[in-house]
Amino acid sequence: MAIANLNDVQVGDALPPMTFGPITRTMLALYAGASGDHNPAHIDSDFAKKAGLPDVFAHGMLSFGGLTRIVTQWAGIGRLRSFGARFVSMTQVHDLISFSGTVVERFEAEGETRLRVSLVAAAQDGRQTLLGEAVVAAS
Amino acid sequence: MQDSEAATKPRGIFDRSTKGHQMPTVSVEVERGQIRFFAKALGETDPIHFNIDAARAAGYPDVVATPSFFMPIEAMADEERARLGQPSLIKLLRCDFGRLLHGDETYTYHGLVFAGDVVQFDTKITDFYEKKGGLMEFVTIESTVSHAERGVLITATRTLLHRLG
Repeated sequence: MAIANLNDVQVGDALPPMTFGPITRTMLALYAGASGDHNPAHIDSDFAKKAGLPDVFAHGMLSFGGLTRIVTQWAGIGRLRSFGARFVSMTQVHDLISFSGTVVERFEAEGETRLRVSLVAAAQDGRQTLLGEAVVAAS
Repeated sequence: MQDSEAATKPRGIFDRSTKGHQMPTVSVEVERGQIRFFAKALGETDPIHFNIDAARAAGYPDVVATPSFFMPIEAMADEERARLGQPSLIKLLRCDFGRLLHGDETYTYHGLVFAGDVVQFDTKITDFYEKKGGLMEFVTIESTVSHAERGVLITATRTLLHRLG
């Protein structure tokens, strides 16, 4: 994998973006099986309707896992120091998610130069689904 | 008194008496196939998560778990607890899947997880709180994934919530 040389990265630089989806029921079923998260609200539309939901909705952690990829493809997993996100709205079946990231800070910690990256996952209508932040080692 | 209180204000669904509860420590083995399956479910394409030769060429001992592989580790830990006759975190908290949402999730990484690792999983229920005048209730959970020789690999903090409205 081509990993960016992060020594030259400036605050304000954008990460290569990525699209994820459109979210299908198959993706939700496979994520449920692979993650061990068998919450029926994500895979069983009968359950979802009984619970008053219009339909199953995507695991937040499915998008979360996708969002980690724009950071690891750019920096390499060995440089990842932290990764987190808030789930700000539900991701629905058929949503096409766009992942974007921007370097917001360069700082020193634990004897190394680090970069803080601000991350957004948003659906095709602009609705934000996840707001995240990652810290990576610059070298 | 109790009846009228219960009728006017449901006090949430989570079992808040579990605040401070430390789940029993369990160890789980990270299998290569599960790293691959999980990576594939996320659309991951980097061969270090699938191919041993690619992982070794990149300087790793075996295929590398993706950053949110914490999730399957936790699920395996829950299964291990079930075998020991212990309730899962979801059951202990009395989560209602019809109302449950994920608030946030944050991982701090101290080391990578590789296929073949046996890792120790620890989880503590640290806090409960409400927002929107009690229309949403939250629980905060802290966990660590650690390895006997390499120490703590991942610390995780997350919140789950119930919509009570």
